[in-house]
Amino acid sequence: MSVLIDIILAILAVYLALQSLLAPRLTQSVFLFFAFGLALALAWIRLGAVDVAITEAAIAAGFLGVLFLDALRDFSPRGSEKKENLEAVQNALPKNNTKSLLLPGMALMLGLGLFLLIALEAVWKIPDGGGLTAAAEALLPESGVEHPVTAVLLNFRAYDTWLEIGVILLGLLAVFAVGGIKIYRKPVMATQDPLLRQVILFFTPVLFLFGAFLLYIGKTGPGGAFQAAVLWGAIGILLHLGGRPVFSMIPRWLGQLLLTIGLGFFLILGFLFIAGGATLFEYPPAHAGVLILIVETMAAISIAAALTAIFANLNQMNEGPNEIESTN
Amino acid sequence: MMIKEIITVILLVVGCFFFLAGTLGVLRFPDLFSRLHALTKADNLGLGFIAAGMAVYIASPWAALKIFFIWLFTLLASSTSCYLIARFQKEQNHSKNGKEGG
Repeated sequence: MSVLIDIILAILAVYLALQSLLAPRLTQSVFLFFAFGLALALAWIRLGAVDVAITEAAIAAGFLGVLFLDALRDFSPRGSEKKENLEAVQNALPKNNTKSLLLPGMALMLGLGLFLLIALEAVWKIPDGGGLTAAAEALLPESGVEHPVTAVLLNFRAYDTWLEIGVILLGLLAVFAVGGIKIYRKPVMATQDPLLRQVILFFTPVLFLFGAFLLYIGKTGPGGAFQAAVLWGAIGILLHLGGRPVFSMIPRWLGQLLLTIGLGFFLILGFLFIAGGATLFEYPPAHAGVLILIVETMAAISIAAALTAIFANLNQMNEGPNEIESTN
Repeated sequence: MMIKEIITVILLVVGCFFFLAGTLGVLRFPDLFSRLHALTKADNLGLGFIAAGMAVYIASPWAALKIFFIWLFTLLASSTSCYLIARFQKEQNHSKNGKEGG
């Protein structure tokens, strides 16, 4: 029975991915992509990787979904000049494609085939003991946390996690580079709709609490900085959509501090460890639990701020100066 | 033990029925407002029955409370988004009619 569910899920995920790529309209592509993200999250749950499942659902269906919907609005009939742009782009596309479809197609097939072979070989080679699981669990008492995934992410492979936080910050910098920081500041305009305002007011503390819970529970079970950060980022996005752009309301230095504190605190801690005679990110076992919790909190704040800022920037980039009044 | 499982199955089947009916409604109803109606019905009742079924199956007060809150939050989010979509559509209709009339 469970094999049947797995097979259906696997087929569904591949089918949705293909459909999302091949769908004739952008709207269909986007919504199929949401469905694909949810199918993937279910697949991760079936594989026992609940941490990855939560992240997948939050990032793919949540954050990416918001970004995609925002991009879709850009192509909707409302922005008439942009629609012309889109049509121009779409008209230009097939002409380029028809000529040299064969060669890229062959290259793609070759690459996919190679990838499939490598993936198959990797799966084949997984030892019976489950790879490094035993090694991670043996060192668990020294890591300061009780959940092996958190121990690996924040302790054994803390360097990777530190770089991941940096990658998100780099993404924000890329958005800045494309759009410029000038349009970052806009006059504050709270939403006029009473229901929307109440719902945002209600969901803000709930999301904050749930994020904090996920952050704290990461010590003993699935959860952690990235999952919490997406929920906290959702607060920022909700407030932004409700007409309270967080980054326009707080002083500039505070925004910059929030964005960089995760990366910075992690790095300072690492250097302190080096100064103390250990290697980079080698926590002293006695205080590892507390330190990991602090690092995770800082990381979650920074990631949430970065996600909010990415959305806020892209959102304001799309909105022409004249279109703001028409939305209400 | 048997009774619990029978109740669970009944609740899940009823929930699935509402989801099926809602999906059918989204696919077949003529305009956006009736589609929204079908969709939110499926969300509220379908998810409600499935959540109730799960709560009965797990049969732990804490889990039941958590499941109830999941349902409540989904209810809030779905009804709000339904309202926002409907409002947007209504405004679109208004501006279209205004343009045609003038």
